[in-house]
Amino acid sequence: MTETSAPNIKQVMRDYFLDLDAAARDPGRRVAWCTSVGPAEVLRAMGFEVYFPENHGAMLGATRVAGDTIPVANARGYSPEICSYLTSDVGACIKGITPLTKAYGIESVPKPDVLVYCTNQCKDVMHWFNWYAREWKVPVIGIHPPNHLPEVEREHIDDVVIQYRKMIEQLEAITGEPLDEQALKAAVAESRTATDLWSDALNMARAKPAPMSFFDSTIYMGPIVVLRGDRRATDYYRGLVAELKAKVAAGEGAVAGERLRVYWEGMPIWGRLRHLSELFASQHAAVVASTYCNSWIFSDFDGDRPLESMAEAYLKIFINRDDGYKESYIERVVGDFDIDGVVYHAARTCPNNTNSHYNLPQRLKNKGIPGIVVDGDLNDLRCFSDEQSTTLVEAFLETL
Amino acid sequence: MTRHTVQVRPTPEPGTEPVFWGVDCGSAEIKIAAIDSTGRILELRKGRTLFPLVEHVHRALSGSAEALSPLAEEQRAVTPDEGTELAARAGHVIYATGYGRNHIKGVHGSLTEIKAHFLGVQHQLELDRDYTIIDIGGQDSKVIRSTPERVDQFAINRKCAAGTGAYIEELAHRLEVPMDRLPGLARKHDSDLTLNSYCTVFSGQEVIKLLMHGERVENLIQALYRSVVKRVLEMTAIDTDTLVFSGGVLEHHEILVPLFAERFDQIETIMAPNAQFCGALGAAVHAMKETQDHGLSHHH
Ligand code: SF4
Repeated sequence: MTETSAPNIKQVMRDYFLDLDAAARDPGRRVAWCTSVGPAEVLRAMGFEVYFPENHGAMLGATRVAGDTIPVANARGYSPEICSYLTSDVGACIKGITPLTKAYGIESVPKPDVLVYCTNQCKDVMHWFNWYAREWKVPVIGIHPPNHLPEVEREHIDDVVIQYRKMIEQLEAITGEPLDEQALKAAVAESRTATDLWSDALNMARAKPAPMSFFDSTIYMGPIVVLRGDRRATDYYRGLVAELKAKVAAGEGAVAGERLRVYWEGMPIWGRLRHLSELFASQHAAVVASTYCNSWIFSDFDGDRPLESMAEAYLKIFINRDDGYKESYIERVVGDFDIDGVVYHAARTCPNNTNSHYNLPQRLKNKGIPGIVVDGDLNDLRCFSDEQSTTLVEAFLETL
Repeated sequence: MTRHTVQVRPTPEPGTEPVFWGVDCGSAEIKIAAIDSTGRILELRKGRTLFPLVEHVHRALSGSAEALSPLAEEQRAVTPDEGTELAARAGHVIYATGYGRNHIKGVHGSLTEIKAHFLGVQHQLELDRDYTIIDIGGQDSKVIRSTPERVDQFAINRKCAAGTGAYIEELAHRLEVPMDRLPGLARKHDSDLTLNSYCTVFSGQEVIKLLMHGERVENLIQALYRSVVKRVLEMTAIDTDTLVFSGGVLEHHEILVPLFAERFDQIETIMAPNAQFCGALGAAVHAMKETQDHGLSHHH
């Protein structure tokens, strides 16, 4: 990557975690835990520092610590069949370890003043946050929006706004201060700017060759997950877009000799990102688009109507839509990015992010979009076979 | 069922023409095929998969017919890498397939078993219609939907070895019956039992339980074969009128073929010639095509 004055991803993430750690130790500051597509902007506007356990889950997977911690949670009655972010994270908590120690010298994850989850993605997050609520005796607030929507309608939005207002009252009781409407507008507007820039960055991969791949994006997406509503995310993505533009202008591709363009559907396999990245690269196949990274594009945020637009944006996310929507969504992206084939990841412990179970690949194949299903998991590598998946992917790329 | 045989062409004089080699490096056996530039089969041979892999592959390649060895010159003195360079100089091209394909240094290229089996089958049968290949191997089974030109779609067994050679082996072990006696005993079955489990180990438990209840071994073996068929057909829907069988397990347990056929009305079943060598042959065919299309480039 070319040197620019733009903030660098490692530094952005380090600063975020160190600041969070400082906040957790400072009795004058407050920490809220939030699900990855939960109402982070409200929390930020109310002065909370926000921590995202799913991001921690991904770190446990990527550093392969998950292999040691999942069984610990299993032994406490959390089935190996449920979200392996949950089991690896709960297991890590029981063992008293975190990858943050090695990465940033942080002793433990930041203890929360409140836990806020939203079930627009899955119900596992509810069980996950409830574990911490019981364990640490911390208040937990749940937002339960309508799920699996073909269209997002007025009544759905109203439902969520009502829940947000109730949540805000509960949060005000914790902070002892009313929500500052201006601060909320500013946070939502800031989120919108960042997410637009993230969308621009992802769209750079429409270029041939694509300047970045899915495997890069899973790293670059850090700030849009953990710093929505914060200036630092916006600054980071401004820099990233500039860098990618320069690469496109220079004709620099993420994969040498790009021959095929692939769409990755589903969760990353965190513990095997390097292996998979090399596998695709060895076949001159660039993974140029994904459902996962695109999930942090929230084009509906609007600083002028903060709560409504948040409700709308967080209801509209891919994972919360019906199968028909998902089919047409993938079809559109495949066209936009001129994609040759789709690799569907059937993640054992996350049926919520697995879209190959109800014959979607076959329906898309009938529309001329070939695909292959790779069995695996986000964090639990016991569910993944290197050999099987290598042959599957190579053979699939051969047929394209 | 249609059965085909292919003549193996007499050995040409060494060094008189190019030879294309395919190495199918599976989990249990290394299979080798050689063809000439018209595609005629020169040689088929196999050996056990042992380690270190590269050494054994090169040993298998050199074989006993020294005159045909792609590493013929100074065979004993050369390292594997030098060996292939010699081979290239002498007009030999080697492609690898199978699980070991990416671990064999010195070959000119590799391809997956999926494509290799398709090429091996199509090269020998020259079918002019869409068909489905069922290939049962030691560790995995594959269903490959093909057109005369290409692989259209495929499925590989998922996490468990159920429906593969390893499954048959495991259950034979449980039943304490040598592998080669299985088909003979199955023919003596007198009832159709079903094994339900998806998992090899759990199937083993089912078998033990049935034995405890006094079930005849012959019926259990028949059930085991039926279970293989079931596991393979569960992998994907078959929508062609022709089924081609390939792979070592089907060649050794041909009794499976009518059991597959039984599951369909009006389907043509063909046992591929040299079924267990289809992968190796396909790799050789690929070597030939690549060389004829692009010339010889040294990949590794
Ligand atoms: S969506 Fe899947 S990975 Fe994410 S928290 Fe829910 S179950 Fe876990």
